[in-house]
Amino acid sequence: MAYSIIDECIGCGACRTLCPAGAITGEKEQVHVINKEFCIECGTCGRICANEAVEDGFGILCQRVKRKDWKKPVFNAGLCASCRTCVDTCPVGCISLSSSIVKKDPREYPFLEDPKACVSCGFCEADCPVDAITLEILSKETQAAA
Amino acid sequence: MGKGYMGKVLFVDLSKGELKEETIPDEVYQKYIGGMGLAAYLLYNKIPANADPLGPDNIIGFLPGLLTGTGSFFTGRWMVAAKSPLTGSWGDANCGGSLSPAIKRCGYDGIFFSGISKKPVYLYIDHHTKELRDASEYWGKDAVEAEEMLIAASGSKKTRVACIGEAGEKLSLISGVSTDKGRMAGRSGIGAVMGSKKLKAIVLNGKKRIQVHDKAEMKHLSKLANKFVKFQVPLPNLMPGMAGILMRALPNAMAQDGMLYKMMLRKWGTVSMNQLSPEMGDSPIKNWMGSSKDWGFSKSYSTHPGKILKREKVKYHCYSCPLGCGGICSMKGKYKETHKPEYETVLALGGLCMNKDADSIFYLNEILNRAGMDTISAGAAAAFAIECYENGILTKKDTDGLELKWGNSKAITQLIEKMIKREGIGDLLADGVKKAAEKIGKGAEQYAIHAGGQELPMHDARNDPGFALHYTAEPTPGRHTLGAGLYYEMFQLWKVAKKLPKVLPLYMKGAKYKTDNEKAVMGATNSKFMSVVNSAGGCKFGMFIGAKRVRLFDWLNAATGWNKTPEEYLAMGENIQTIKQSFNVKHGIEPKNITVSDRVLGKPFQTEGANKGRTVDLEPVRSAYWSEFGWNPETGKPTPERMAEFTNP
Repeated sequence: MAYSIIDECIGCGACRTLCPAGAITGEKEQVHVINKEFCIECGTCGRICANEAVEDGFGILCQRVKRKDWKKPVFNAGLCASCRTCVDTCPVGCISLSSSIVKKDPREYPFLEDPKACVSCGFCEADCPVDAITLEILSKETQAAA
Repeated sequence: MGKGYMGKVLFVDLSKGELKEETIPDEVYQKYIGGMGLAAYLLYNKIPANADPLGPDNIIGFLPGLLTGTGSFFTGRWMVAAKSPLTGSWGDANCGGSLSPAIKRCGYDGIFFSGISKKPVYLYIDHHTKELRDASEYWGKDAVEAEEMLIAASGSKKTRVACIGEAGEKLSLISGVSTDKGRMAGRSGIGAVMGSKKLKAIVLNGKKRIQVHDKAEMKHLSKLANKFVKFQVPLPNLMPGMAGILMRALPNAMAQDGMLYKMMLRKWGTVSMNQLSPEMGDSPIKNWMGSSKDWGFSKSYSTHPGKILKREKVKYHCYSCPLGCGGICSMKGKYKETHKPEYETVLALGGLCMNKDADSIFYLNEILNRAGMDTISAGAAAAFAIECYENGILTKKDTDGLELKWGNSKAITQLIEKMIKREGIGDLLADGVKKAAEKIGKGAEQYAIHAGGQELPMHDARNDPGFALHYTAEPTPGRHTLGAGLYYEMFQLWKVAKKLPKVLPLYMKGAKYKTDNEKAVMGATNSKFMSVVNSAGGCKFGMFIGAKRVRLFDWLNAATGWNKTPEEYLAMGENIQTIKQSFNVKHGIEPKNITVSDRVLGKPFQTEGANKGRTVDLEPVRSAYWSEFGWNPETGKPTPERMAEFTNP
């Protein structure tokens, strides 16, 4: 069920800029609208909204999370099956594959290539068939290294 | 909560340039699952009888499986289906890569095209847009170039493409559809259907979520499957070849457990069979007239699995595959890399033509992938031409000066380049061996090895008679991917459907050639199961691990909430198989006329090699197989009443 924006919206445009599905429209300083057809329920709008003006599909008000505290995927190569599910499911394309993650292993494993682009939707964690992904708050150093 | 499927398909009328969505009722999924089953239901009802396969009435569909994107493993394959211009029958081709979930993320369980566009077009769909776009600048580009250009033009690295190359554009009847830079849906000549419609590509970048009934159960089953996939013991590079020699020498055979094959696939990929198969008699040699004696260890050594592995830069996994039998190999020359050639490719361009030059096989693999031409059929056409030349039916004048001798790798390479370009003799061969033999005449038919027009794959029925059954009795003739005696052993379906016949752990090889009803039951079970697998988007190699380890039926229940038994799923497979056969009957195909050359059946039998003295008695098993579906045992046709059942969901 799609998310929706309530009247408390101040029209700052942060959700519109970040929405990976391009589902939000609205003029500056006007209440924004989420197009139900395009919403993928990633919750980015709810996390970014400083005014807490977003409800999820069940009508529950979303809590703002500071961007530095957004949880992002950490991959356990020991459990990973190299199946590309996370790469496919990521709505912003921030996960890539590399053959240099496990030495002497000819297979490719996923890594967070673009931490800044990650919207903390958790789809990768939710969809990983073998639960090889956990979501964690990454340190600045980890993000820089990625 | 979802059911794994999206509930909608897209129809594109290329003549009118119109796009129209159609909702698919739940009953249709309950009866036909999705993927190939959904294609069979829709194409049976929508393609008019006797439609020209290359005309506007033919419809081509691209379909993911029901289980694609649901958190299950081995279920990322897509199907492209249409009336085949190569065989005139039901046509389909199956492929992995990462296109399958992309179709679903656009919101569709299938994208279908009818009509013919006036100019080259491609279909573009993203989260907000769906439209036909001008493909003039991509027409004439090879499949890899076109894919790279289309991804760049889309502005997203997550864009997925399926397209044709030069062969499809030039309506070669052995052309296919490429994705992921050279993974091919190669069979049935489907590329020519795209070419005839002036449809260069489909370009997909949707973002829809795929919902299932019980996600926790999906994961539980995937973790179970992954345990078996990851179990691996060290295998030396010469092991497969040595095993092949042993299997040839022994008078008896052991029922195969797919775990061993799984370990070989995980280490080497399908090339693990490059020496094993010729040694045990599974590979047809010298256009099916040779034997293991003609293609001994020293000849197959240039393509032995360890040597291929040395060229592999990195393993390649299709979407949702934990096994990863593919690979990207480095090459010298014009092209720097290629998908690791499959066993089928290596043998079709190798042993079948007596070509032991591995470099030429790698080169041909890449140019055929780029051209979008089926490597099996291309190799079979080359072998056919060589045998015609060796027997004086074709002369140097006919071959534009090519010395088409067995094993002349340079001439074989030039011949296939001509086929891609449709130059000279290549033009003749680019439509497959059946059409070429008809045009050549002079008795060339005896060297054209095919079933119903489809060139046979690299599995010898004299070694496993089950292949002869599936080559000739299926609605899609000439396929090695639907069943064989060996497949029944590895699927281990009797462990989940208790009434099915078990396989003895050890049996005398001669038992394979005895005609009995149990073989028809096993063959029909293979076909029903593979119909379910192909409708779920499944991979045969994953299913080889065994039905209790890779639990397809349980995944289907967890994804949909249906709670059906394995027997009920096999009954759905029977439905799908019967609608495909009904499609053939509707289009005037006489199933009993689909046969293979006597050579393939060991008539006369070979006097040396692994299959020495082996003859396959096909007819009685084929009749019994048809009876298993309730089709007429003499004609292979379903009753008109049964056919009428498929006009409604």
